[in-house]
Amino acid sequence: MANDWLFLFPEKVRALLSGLPAHLLARLEEVRVRERRPLEINYSGKYHFLCENGSLTQLPAEAYKPSREDTHRLLDLISNHSLYTMEEELRKGFITIPGGHRIGLSGRTVLSGGGVEHLRDITGFNVRIARELPGIADSVLPYLVERGRQRIMHTLILSPPQHGKTTLLRDLARQISAGSEAGRDGGRPGLKVGIVDERSEIAGSRRGIPAFDVGPRTDILDGCPKAEGMMMMIRSLSPEVLIADEIGRHEDAEAVTEALHAGISVVATAHGKEVAELARRPGLGGLLEHRMFERYVILHRTGAGLTFRILDGQKRGLLLITPEEQQGGERRA
Amino acid sequence: MLKLLGAVLVVLAGTLAGFTRAAQYADRPRNIRGLIAALQRLETEILYGYTPLPEALRRIGQQSKGPLQDFFTAAAQEMSPPLDHSAEEAFRRAMELHFRSAALKGAEREILRQLSCTLGTSDRSNQSTHIALALQQLKQEETAAREDQGKYEKMSKSLGLLLGVLIVILIF
Repeated sequence: MANDWLFLFPEKVRALLSGLPAHLLARLEEVRVRERRPLEINYSGKYHFLCENGSLTQLPAEAYKPSREDTHRLLDLISNHSLYTMEEELRKGFITIPGGHRIGLSGRTVLSGGGVEHLRDITGFNVRIARELPGIADSVLPYLVERGRQRIMHTLILSPPQHGKTTLLRDLARQISAGSEAGRDGGRPGLKVGIVDERSEIAGSRRGIPAFDVGPRTDILDGCPKAEGMMMMIRSLSPEVLIADEIGRHEDAEAVTEALHAGISVVATAHGKEVAELARRPGLGGLLEHRMFERYVILHRTGAGLTFRILDGQKRGLLLITPEEQQGGERRA
Repeated sequence: MLKLLGAVLVVLAGTLAGFTRAAQYADRPRNIRGLIAALQRLETEILYGYTPLPEALRRIGQQSKGPLQDFFTAAAQEMSPPLDHSAEEAFRRAMELHFRSAALKGAEREILRQLSCTLGTSDRSNQSTHIALALQQLKQEETAAREDQGKYEKMSKSLGLLLGVLIVILIF
Protein backbone atom coordinates (compact mmCIF):
# COMPACT_ATOMS: atom_id res chain seq x y z
CA MET A 1 0.00 0.00 0.00
CA ALA A 2 2.73 2.44 0.98
CA ASN A 3 4.33 2.38 -2.44
CA ASP A 4 1.26 1.70 -4.54
CA TRP A 5 2.49 4.21 -7.09
CA LEU A 6 5.26 1.82 -8.13
CA PHE A 7 2.75 -0.25 -10.03
CA LEU A 8 2.08 2.42 -12.56
CA PHE A 9 5.58 2.22 -13.99
CA PRO A 10 6.54 -0.15 -16.79
CA GLU A 11 8.40 -3.26 -15.62
CA LYS A 12 11.89 -1.99 -16.42
CA VAL A 13 11.52 1.33 -14.60
CA ARG A 14 9.63 -0.31 -11.76
CA ALA A 15 12.48 -2.73 -11.20
CA LEU A 16 14.98 0.14 -11.08
CA LEU A 17 12.86 2.13 -8.63
CA SER A 18 12.09 -0.77 -6.32
CA GLY A 19 15.82 -1.41 -6.15
CA LEU A 20 16.34 1.91 -4.38
CA PRO A 21 17.02 1.84 -0.65
CA ALA A 22 13.87 1.96 1.45
CA HIS A 23 14.68 5.23 3.25
CA LEU A 24 15.17 6.91 -0.10
CA LEU A 25 12.00 5.43 -1.52
CA ALA A 26 10.08 6.78 1.43
CA ARG A 27 11.27 10.31 0.73
CA LEU A 28 10.91 10.22 -3.05
CA GLU A 29 8.98 13.20 -4.33
CA GLU A 30 9.19 13.12 -8.07
CA VAL A 31 10.05 10.63 -10.75
CA ARG A 32 10.61 12.20 -14.11
CA VAL A 33 10.49 10.05 -17.19
CA ARG A 34 11.53 11.59 -20.47
CA GLU A 35 11.77 9.50 -23.58
CA ARG A 36 15.38 8.76 -24.56
CA ARG A 37 16.67 11.09 -21.88
CA PRO A 38 17.97 10.24 -18.42
CA LEU A 39 15.56 8.91 -15.84
CA GLU A 40 15.48 11.43 -13.00
CA ILE A 41 14.35 11.18 -9.41
CA ASN A 42 13.92 13.96 -6.87
CA TYR A 43 13.96 13.67 -3.13
CA SER A 44 14.51 16.18 -0.34
CA GLY A 45 14.84 18.90 -2.93
CA LYS A 46 17.79 17.29 -4.72
CA TYR A 47 17.88 15.59 -8.09
CA HIS A 48 19.65 12.45 -9.23
CA PHE A 49 19.75 10.35 -12.35
CA LEU A 50 19.20 6.64 -12.09
CA CYS A 51 21.62 4.22 -13.74
CA GLU A 52 20.70 0.91 -15.31
CA ASN A 53 22.45 -0.95 -12.48
CA GLY A 54 20.32 0.87 -9.90
CA SER A 55 22.90 3.35 -8.61
CA LEU A 56 22.47 7.12 -8.51
CA THR A 57 24.54 9.52 -10.53
CA GLN A 58 24.80 13.17 -11.44
CA LEU A 59 26.09 12.40 -14.92
CA PRO A 60 23.34 12.30 -17.54
CA ALA A 61 25.44 10.14 -19.86
CA GLU A 62 25.54 7.21 -17.43
CA ALA A 63 21.86 7.20 -16.63
CA TYR A 64 19.20 4.83 -17.86
CA LYS A 65 17.26 6.31 -20.75
CA PRO A 66 13.65 5.15 -20.99
CA SER A 67 12.81 3.82 -24.44
CA ARG A 68 9.78 4.62 -26.55
CA GLU A 69 8.29 1.35 -25.39
CA ASP A 70 8.70 2.42 -21.76
CA THR A 71 6.87 5.70 -22.24
CA HIS A 72 4.08 4.07 -24.26
CA ARG A 73 3.61 1.47 -21.57
CA LEU A 74 3.65 4.13 -18.85
CA LEU A 75 0.96 6.13 -20.62
CA ASP A 76 -1.06 2.97 -21.15
CA LEU A 77 -0.84 2.10 -17.47
CA ILE A 78 -1.64 5.51 -16.04
CA SER A 79 -4.63 5.87 -18.34
CA ASN A 80 -5.89 2.38 -17.44
CA HIS A 81 -5.46 1.44 -21.13
CA SER A 82 -8.10 4.01 -21.98
CA LEU A 83 -6.68 7.34 -23.03
CA TYR A 84 -10.09 8.44 -24.28
CA THR A 85 -11.34 8.73 -20.71
CA MET A 86 -8.64 11.34 -20.07
CA GLU A 87 -9.47 13.96 -22.70
CA GLU A 88 -10.16 16.71 -20.19
CA GLU A 89 -7.03 15.82 -18.25
CA LEU A 90 -4.92 15.88 -21.39
CA ARG A 91 -6.21 19.32 -22.17
CA LYS A 92 -5.07 20.48 -18.76
CA GLY A 93 -1.78 18.64 -19.01
CA PHE A 94 -1.93 16.35 -16.03
CA ILE A 95 -3.56 13.18 -14.82
CA THR A 96 -4.31 12.39 -11.20
CA ILE A 97 -4.33 8.69 -10.51
CA PRO A 98 -6.02 6.89 -7.63
CA GLY A 99 -4.03 7.63 -4.51
CA GLY A 100 -3.75 11.33 -5.28
CA HIS A 101 -0.50 11.10 -7.21
CA ARG A 102 -0.33 13.69 -9.94
CA ILE A 103 1.35 13.06 -13.24
CA GLY A 104 2.27 16.08 -15.31
CA LEU A 105 2.55 15.43 -19.03
CA SER A 106 4.46 17.00 -21.85
CA GLY A 107 4.22 16.33 -25.52
CA ARG A 108 2.95 18.02 -28.62
CA THR A 109 -0.20 20.04 -28.25
CA VAL A 110 -2.98 19.97 -30.79
CA LEU A 111 -4.71 23.32 -31.10
CA SER A 112 -8.26 24.05 -32.02
CA GLY A 113 -9.56 27.58 -32.31
CA GLY A 114 -6.48 28.88 -30.55
CA GLY A 115 -6.98 26.75 -27.44
CA VAL A 116 -5.23 23.54 -26.49
CA GLU A 117 -7.50 20.73 -27.53
CA HIS A 118 -5.40 17.70 -27.01
CA LEU A 119 -1.95 16.48 -26.16
CA ARG A 120 -0.32 13.90 -28.37
CA ASP A 121 3.10 12.32 -28.74
CA ILE A 122 3.34 12.35 -24.97
CA THR A 123 6.96 11.72 -24.09
CA GLY A 124 7.53 13.52 -20.79
CA PHE A 125 6.10 12.47 -17.45
CA ASN A 126 6.51 14.00 -14.05
CA VAL A 127 5.14 11.69 -11.41
CA ARG A 128 4.60 13.57 -8.17
CA ILE A 129 4.14 11.23 -5.30
CA ALA A 130 1.52 12.35 -2.83
CA ARG A 131 2.28 11.69 0.81
CA GLU A 132 0.25 11.90 3.90
CA LEU A 133 2.12 13.59 6.74
CA PRO A 134 -0.24 13.58 9.70
CA GLY A 135 0.87 16.19 12.18
CA ILE A 136 2.57 18.53 9.74
CA ALA A 137 -0.03 21.17 10.55
CA ASP A 138 0.33 20.77 14.34
CA SER A 139 2.46 23.84 14.82
CA VAL A 140 0.46 26.06 12.48
CA LEU A 141 -3.12 25.29 13.37
CA PRO A 142 -3.23 26.99 16.81
CA TYR A 143 -2.49 30.31 15.10
CA LEU A 144 -5.35 29.90 12.67
CA VAL A 145 -8.02 29.39 15.32
CA GLU A 146 -9.72 32.52 16.53
CA ARG A 147 -9.52 32.65 20.26
CA GLY A 148 -12.75 32.08 22.12
CA ARG A 149 -14.92 31.83 19.09
CA GLN A 150 -14.18 28.30 17.84
CA ARG A 151 -13.72 29.59 14.35
CA ILE A 152 -11.00 29.10 11.80
CA MET A 153 -9.69 32.33 10.36
CA HIS A 154 -9.60 32.98 6.62
CA THR A 155 -6.19 31.74 5.64
CA LEU A 156 -4.08 31.81 2.53
CA ILE A 157 -1.15 29.43 2.30
CA LEU A 158 1.64 30.56 0.03
CA SER A 159 4.65 28.80 -1.39
CA PRO A 160 6.38 28.01 -4.65
CA PRO A 161 5.54 24.62 -6.16
CA GLN A 162 6.96 21.51 -4.46
CA HIS A 163 7.16 22.97 -0.98
CA GLY A 164 4.31 21.02 0.55
CA LYS A 165 1.24 23.22 0.25
CA THR A 166 -1.12 20.40 -0.55
CA THR A 167 0.27 18.16 2.16
CA LEU A 168 -0.23 20.93 4.72
CA LEU A 169 -3.72 21.62 3.44
CA ARG A 170 -4.63 17.95 3.71
CA ASP A 171 -3.50 17.77 7.31
CA LEU A 172 -5.28 21.02 8.14
CA ALA A 173 -8.50 19.57 6.73
CA ARG A 174 -8.04 16.45 8.82
CA GLN A 175 -7.36 18.31 12.06
CA ILE A 176 -10.04 20.96 11.61
CA SER A 177 -12.59 18.29 10.76
CA ALA A 178 -11.63 16.04 13.66
CA GLY A 179 -11.30 18.79 16.25
CA SER A 180 -9.09 18.17 19.22
CA GLU A 181 -9.60 16.69 22.61
CA ALA A 182 -9.84 18.92 25.62
CA GLY A 183 -6.53 19.57 27.29
CA ARG A 184 -4.22 20.46 24.42
CA ASP A 185 -5.38 23.76 23.09
CA GLY A 186 -8.40 23.86 25.32
CA GLY A 187 -10.36 21.46 23.18
CA ARG A 188 -11.86 22.36 19.86
CA PRO A 189 -14.96 20.73 18.41
CA GLY A 190 -14.71 19.32 14.91
CA LEU A 191 -16.06 21.54 12.18
CA LYS A 192 -17.84 20.73 8.95
CA VAL A 193 -15.21 20.91 6.26
CA GLY A 194 -15.85 21.12 2.54
CA ILE A 195 -13.00 20.38 0.15
CA VAL A 196 -13.23 21.44 -3.46
CA ASP A 197 -10.69 19.07 -4.91
CA GLU A 198 -10.34 20.13 -8.52
CA ARG A 199 -7.30 17.99 -9.21
CA SER A 200 -8.15 15.12 -6.87
CA GLU A 201 -4.94 15.85 -5.04
CA ILE A 202 -6.03 16.83 -1.56
CA ALA A 203 -8.14 13.78 -0.83
CA GLY A 204 -6.91 11.53 -3.64
CA SER A 205 -10.42 10.21 -4.08
CA ARG A 206 -11.03 6.90 -5.75
CA ARG A 207 -14.62 6.50 -6.89
CA GLY A 208 -15.64 9.31 -4.58
CA ILE A 209 -14.02 7.87 -1.47
CA PRO A 210 -10.94 9.71 -0.19
CA ALA A 211 -7.71 7.70 -0.17
CA PHE A 212 -6.21 10.02 2.44
CA ASP A 213 -7.50 10.72 5.90
CA VAL A 214 -9.13 14.13 5.58
CA GLY A 215 -11.20 13.92 8.74
CA PRO A 216 -14.56 12.52 9.80
CA ARG A 217 -16.65 15.62 9.09
CA THR A 218 -15.32 16.36 5.64
CA ASP A 219 -17.20 16.47 2.34
CA ILE A 220 -15.31 16.37 -0.91
CA LEU A 221 -16.34 17.59 -4.33
CA ASP A 222 -13.96 15.59 -6.45
CA GLY A 223 -12.70 16.89 -9.78
CA CYS A 224 -14.91 19.95 -9.58
CA PRO A 225 -13.78 23.33 -10.91
CA LYS A 226 -12.97 25.48 -7.87
CA ALA A 227 -15.18 28.49 -8.46
CA GLU A 228 -18.23 26.42 -9.30
CA GLY A 229 -17.45 23.90 -6.58
CA MET A 230 -17.20 26.53 -3.88
CA MET A 231 -20.60 27.90 -4.85
CA MET A 232 -22.08 24.41 -4.89
CA MET A 233 -20.63 23.75 -1.45
CA ILE A 234 -22.05 26.95 -0.02
CA ARG A 235 -25.49 26.28 -1.44
CA SER A 236 -25.88 22.63 -0.64
CA LEU A 237 -23.40 21.26 1.87
CA SER A 238 -23.30 24.03 4.49
CA PRO A 239 -19.61 23.79 5.32
CA GLU A 240 -18.12 25.80 8.17
CA VAL A 241 -14.68 25.69 6.61
CA LEU A 242 -14.08 25.65 2.88
CA ILE A 243 -10.81 24.29 1.56
CA ALA A 244 -9.47 24.77 -1.96
CA ASP A 245 -6.11 24.29 -3.58
CA GLU A 246 -4.32 26.75 -5.83
CA ILE A 247 -6.71 29.59 -6.32
CA GLY A 248 -5.65 32.25 -8.78
CA ARG A 249 -8.23 33.08 -11.39
CA HIS A 250 -10.87 35.77 -11.28
CA GLU A 251 -13.72 33.32 -10.77
CA ASP A 252 -11.90 31.75 -7.85
CA ALA A 253 -11.49 35.13 -6.19
CA GLU A 254 -15.19 35.87 -6.66
CA ALA A 255 -16.19 32.55 -5.15
CA VAL A 256 -13.86 33.12 -2.19
CA THR A 257 -15.41 36.55 -1.62
CA GLU A 258 -18.85 34.98 -1.74
CA ALA A 259 -17.86 32.38 0.82
CA LEU A 260 -16.31 34.96 3.12
CA HIS A 261 -19.48 37.01 3.07
CA ALA A 262 -21.53 33.91 3.75
CA GLY A 263 -19.67 33.52 7.03
CA ILE A 264 -17.70 30.51 5.94
CA SER A 265 -14.02 30.28 6.78
CA VAL A 266 -11.84 29.78 3.75
CA VAL A 267 -8.48 28.03 3.77
CA ALA A 268 -6.84 28.20 0.37
CA THR A 269 -3.42 27.94 -1.20
CA ALA A 270 -1.73 29.90 -3.95
CA HIS A 271 1.59 29.84 -5.73
CA GLY A 272 3.92 32.59 -4.63
CA LYS A 273 6.76 33.55 -2.36
CA GLU A 274 5.62 36.77 -0.80
CA VAL A 275 2.30 38.38 -0.04
CA ALA A 276 3.39 41.53 -1.86
CA GLU A 277 3.94 39.53 -5.05
CA LEU A 278 0.43 38.26 -4.86
CA ALA A 279 -1.11 41.71 -4.80
CA ARG A 280 0.07 42.25 -8.34
CA ARG A 281 -1.65 39.15 -9.67
CA PRO A 282 -4.89 40.01 -11.43
CA GLY A 283 -7.12 37.42 -9.80
CA LEU A 284 -5.94 37.63 -6.22
CA GLY A 285 -5.02 41.31 -6.03
CA GLY A 286 -8.58 42.32 -5.17
CA LEU A 287 -8.82 39.82 -2.35
CA LEU A 288 -5.68 41.21 -0.77
CA GLU A 289 -6.70 44.79 -1.28
CA HIS A 290 -9.92 44.25 0.62
CA ARG A 291 -8.03 42.40 3.34
CA MET A 292 -10.14 39.34 2.95
CA PHE A 293 -7.65 37.01 4.54
CA GLU A 294 -6.86 37.16 8.24
CA ARG A 295 -3.83 34.92 8.16
CA TYR A 296 -1.10 34.20 5.64
CA VAL A 297 1.10 31.16 6.01
CA ILE A 298 4.25 31.18 3.91
CA LEU A 299 5.96 27.87 3.45
CA HIS A 300 9.58 27.42 2.73
CA ARG A 301 11.34 24.14 2.57
CA THR A 302 15.03 23.68 3.17
CA GLY A 303 17.11 20.56 3.54
CA ALA A 304 16.33 20.52 7.26
CA GLY A 305 12.57 20.66 6.88
CA LEU A 306 9.69 23.07 6.59
CA THR A 307 9.71 26.64 7.78
CA PHE A 308 6.38 28.37 8.34
CA ARG A 309 6.03 32.12 8.42
CA ILE A 310 2.69 33.30 9.70
CA LEU A 311 1.44 36.79 8.91
CA ASP A 312 -1.73 38.49 10.12
CA GLY A 313 -4.32 40.24 7.99
CA GLN A 314 -2.29 43.45 7.83
CA LYS A 315 0.62 41.43 6.50
CA ARG A 316 2.55 41.94 9.72
CA GLY A 317 4.75 39.06 10.68
CA LEU A 318 3.43 37.18 13.68
CA LEU A 319 5.67 34.22 13.97
CA LEU A 320 8.37 32.12 12.41
CA ILE A 321 8.35 28.40 13.01
CA THR A 322 11.56 26.61 12.10
CA PRO A 323 12.05 22.88 11.67
CA GLU A 324 13.78 22.55 15.06
CA GLU A 325 10.81 24.03 16.88
CA GLN A 326 8.48 21.65 15.11
CA GLN A 327 10.47 18.71 16.33
CA GLY A 328 10.24 20.18 19.80
CA GLY A 329 6.51 20.43 19.31
CA GLU A 330 6.32 16.82 18.35
CA ARG A 331 8.12 15.84 21.50
CA ARG A 332 5.64 17.78 23.55
CA ALA A 333 2.77 16.03 21.82
CA MET B 1 -20.63 -58.74 -42.08
CA LEU B 2 -17.52 -57.08 -40.76
CA LYS B 3 -16.99 -55.48 -44.15
CA LEU B 4 -20.46 -54.06 -44.08
CA LEU B 5 -19.90 -52.58 -40.65
CA GLY B 6 -16.66 -50.98 -41.86
CA ALA B 7 -18.40 -49.56 -44.89
CA VAL B 8 -21.14 -48.04 -42.73
CA LEU B 9 -18.49 -46.53 -40.44
CA VAL B 10 -16.61 -44.98 -43.35
CA VAL B 11 -19.78 -43.46 -44.79
CA LEU B 12 -20.79 -42.21 -41.36
CA ALA B 13 -17.40 -40.62 -40.80
CA GLY B 14 -17.54 -38.93 -44.20
CA THR B 15 -21.01 -37.57 -43.47
CA LEU B 16 -19.96 -36.30 -40.06
CA ALA B 17 -16.93 -34.55 -41.53
CA GLY B 18 -19.18 -32.93 -44.10
CA PHE B 19 -21.61 -31.72 -41.45
CA THR B 20 -18.84 -30.28 -39.29
CA ARG B 21 -17.50 -28.39 -42.27
CA ALA B 22 -21.03 -27.16 -43.06
CA ALA B 23 -21.51 -26.05 -39.44
CA GLN B 24 -18.36 -23.96 -39.71
CA TYR B 25 -19.77 -22.26 -42.79
CA ALA B 26 -22.96 -21.57 -40.86
CA ASP B 27 -21.21 -20.40 -37.67
CA ARG B 28 -18.89 -17.94 -39.27
CA PRO B 29 -21.48 -15.34 -40.34
CA ARG B 30 -23.14 -15.70 -36.96
CA ASN B 31 -19.91 -15.11 -35.08
CA ILE B 32 -19.02 -12.15 -37.29
CA ARG B 33 -22.50 -10.75 -36.64
CA GLY B 34 -21.85 -11.15 -32.90
CA LEU B 35 -18.49 -9.47 -33.23
CA ILE B 36 -20.07 -6.55 -35.08
CA ALA B 37 -22.66 -6.13 -32.34
CA ALA B 38 -19.93 -6.32 -29.70
CA LEU B 39 -17.82 -3.65 -31.38
CA GLN B 40 -20.83 -1.41 -31.72
CA ARG B 41 -21.41 -1.73 -28.00
CA LEU B 42 -17.74 -1.01 -27.40
CA GLU B 43 -18.08 2.16 -29.45
CA THR B 44 -21.02 3.27 -27.32
CA GLU B 45 -19.13 2.51 -24.12
CA ILE B 46 -16.19 4.59 -25.33
CA LEU B 47 -18.11 7.46 -26.89
CA TYR B 48 -20.86 8.01 -24.37
CA GLY B 49 -19.94 6.02 -21.30
CA TYR B 50 -16.27 7.01 -20.95
CA THR B 51 -15.89 3.47 -19.65
CA PRO B 52 -12.28 2.33 -19.21
CA LEU B 53 -11.37 -0.41 -21.65
CA PRO B 54 -11.04 -3.37 -19.21
CA GLU B 55 -14.44 -2.59 -17.71
CA ALA B 56 -16.03 -2.11 -21.15
CA LEU B 57 -14.64 -5.41 -22.44
CA ARG B 58 -15.86 -7.22 -19.34
CA ARG B 59 -19.38 -5.89 -19.84
CA ILE B 60 -19.37 -6.84 -23.50
CA GLY B 61 -18.15 -10.29 -22.57
CA GLN B 62 -21.11 -10.71 -20.25
CA GLN B 63 -23.52 -9.72 -23.00
CA SER B 64 -21.98 -11.89 -25.72
CA LYS B 65 -22.35 -15.60 -26.31
CA GLY B 66 -20.14 -18.58 -27.07
CA PRO B 67 -16.52 -18.02 -28.09
CA LEU B 68 -16.97 -14.24 -28.10
CA GLN B 69 -17.90 -14.27 -24.43
CA ASP B 70 -14.73 -16.21 -23.61
CA PHE B 71 -12.68 -13.94 -25.83
CA PHE B 72 -13.82 -10.62 -24.37
CA THR B 73 -13.77 -11.84 -20.79
CA ALA B 74 -10.23 -13.15 -21.26
CA ALA B 75 -9.11 -9.89 -22.89
CA ALA B 76 -10.58 -7.89 -19.99
CA GLN B 77 -8.77 -10.11 -17.52
CA GLU B 78 -5.47 -9.71 -19.36
CA MET B 79 -5.80 -5.95 -19.16
CA SER B 80 -6.67 -5.80 -15.46
CA PRO B 81 -4.12 -5.92 -12.66
CA PRO B 82 -1.98 -7.82 -11.88
CA LEU B 83 -1.27 -8.66 -15.56
CA ASP B 84 -2.01 -5.17 -16.88
CA HIS B 85 -1.16 -5.98 -20.50
CA SER B 86 -1.73 -3.44 -23.23
CA ALA B 87 -4.80 -3.82 -25.43
CA GLU B 88 -2.70 -5.18 -28.27
CA GLU B 89 -1.09 -7.84 -26.09
CA ALA B 90 -4.34 -8.75 -24.36
CA PHE B 91 -6.20 -9.21 -27.65
CA ARG B 92 -3.39 -11.31 -29.08
CA ARG B 93 -3.36 -13.63 -26.10
CA ALA B 94 -7.13 -13.87 -25.89
CA MET B 95 -7.37 -14.69 -29.59
CA GLU B 96 -4.77 -17.42 -29.25
CA LEU B 97 -6.75 -18.95 -26.41
CA HIS B 98 -10.29 -18.71 -27.66
CA PHE B 99 -10.37 -18.27 -31.42
CA ARG B 100 -8.83 -21.61 -32.22
CA SER B 101 -12.09 -23.49 -32.06
CA ALA B 102 -14.29 -20.69 -33.26
CA ALA B 103 -15.28 -20.52 -36.87
CA LEU B 104 -13.41 -17.27 -37.30
CA LYS B 105 -10.88 -16.91 -40.04
CA GLY B 106 -7.62 -15.08 -40.42
CA ALA B 107 -9.42 -12.04 -41.81
CA GLU B 108 -11.37 -11.36 -38.61
CA ARG B 109 -8.29 -11.90 -36.48
CA GLU B 110 -6.36 -9.46 -38.60
CA ILE B 111 -9.12 -6.85 -38.28
CA LEU B 112 -9.18 -7.29 -34.50
CA ARG B 113 -5.41 -7.18 -34.30
CA GLN B 114 -5.28 -3.91 -36.21
CA LEU B 115 -8.00 -2.46 -34.03
CA SER B 116 -6.27 -3.56 -30.84
CA CYS B 117 -3.16 -1.56 -31.77
CA THR B 118 -5.08 1.70 -31.57
CA LEU B 119 -7.65 0.78 -28.93
CA GLY B 120 -7.37 3.01 -25.90
CA THR B 121 -4.44 5.01 -27.22
CA SER B 122 -6.21 8.09 -28.58
CA ASP B 123 -9.14 10.41 -28.00
CA ARG B 124 -12.76 9.46 -28.44
CA SER B 125 -13.31 10.67 -31.97
CA ASN B 126 -10.21 8.82 -33.13
CA GLN B 127 -11.31 5.65 -31.36
CA SER B 128 -14.67 5.95 -33.03
CA THR B 129 -13.03 6.24 -36.47
CA HIS B 130 -10.97 3.12 -35.91
CA ILE B 131 -13.91 1.11 -34.63
CA ALA B 132 -16.03 2.29 -37.58
CA LEU B 133 -13.29 1.11 -39.94
CA ALA B 134 -13.16 -2.28 -38.25
CA LEU B 135 -16.94 -2.52 -38.40
CA GLN B 136 -16.94 -1.77 -42.10
CA GLN B 137 -14.34 -4.44 -42.76
CA LEU B 138 -16.22 -6.93 -40.64
CA LYS B 139 -19.42 -6.23 -42.55
CA GLN B 140 -17.63 -7.03 -45.80
CA GLU B 141 -16.37 -10.23 -44.26
CA GLU B 142 -19.87 -11.03 -43.14
CA THR B 143 -21.25 -10.63 -46.66
CA ALA B 144 -18.49 -12.83 -48.01
CA ALA B 145 -19.11 -15.37 -45.27
CA ARG B 146 -22.81 -15.47 -46.08
CA GLU B 147 -22.07 -16.04 -49.75
CA ASP B 148 -19.73 -18.86 -48.79
CA GLN B 149 -22.40 -20.27 -46.57
CA GLY B 150 -24.94 -20.26 -49.41
CA LYS B 151 -22.45 -21.82 -51.79
CA TYR B 152 -20.72 -24.38 -49.64
CA GLU B 153 -22.92 -25.31 -46.69
CA LYS B 154 -25.20 -27.73 -48.53
CA MET B 155 -22.40 -28.85 -50.78
CA SER B 156 -20.18 -29.75 -47.82
CA LYS B 157 -22.88 -31.92 -46.38
CA SER B 158 -23.46 -33.91 -49.58
CA LEU B 159 -19.76 -33.92 -50.40
CA GLY B 160 -18.99 -35.55 -47.06
CA LEU B 161 -21.53 -38.29 -47.67
CA LEU B 162 -20.39 -38.83 -51.25
CA LEU B 163 -16.75 -38.95 -50.25
CA GLY B 164 -17.58 -41.62 -47.71
CA VAL B 165 -19.38 -43.61 -50.38
CA LEU B 166 -16.52 -43.11 -52.82
CA ILE B 167 -14.01 -44.50 -50.36
CA VAL B 168 -16.27 -47.51 -49.74
CA ILE B 169 -16.59 -48.15 -53.46
CA LEU B 170 -12.87 -47.80 -53.99
CA ILE B 171 -12.05 -50.20 -51.18
CA PHE B 172 -14.46 -52.88 -52.30
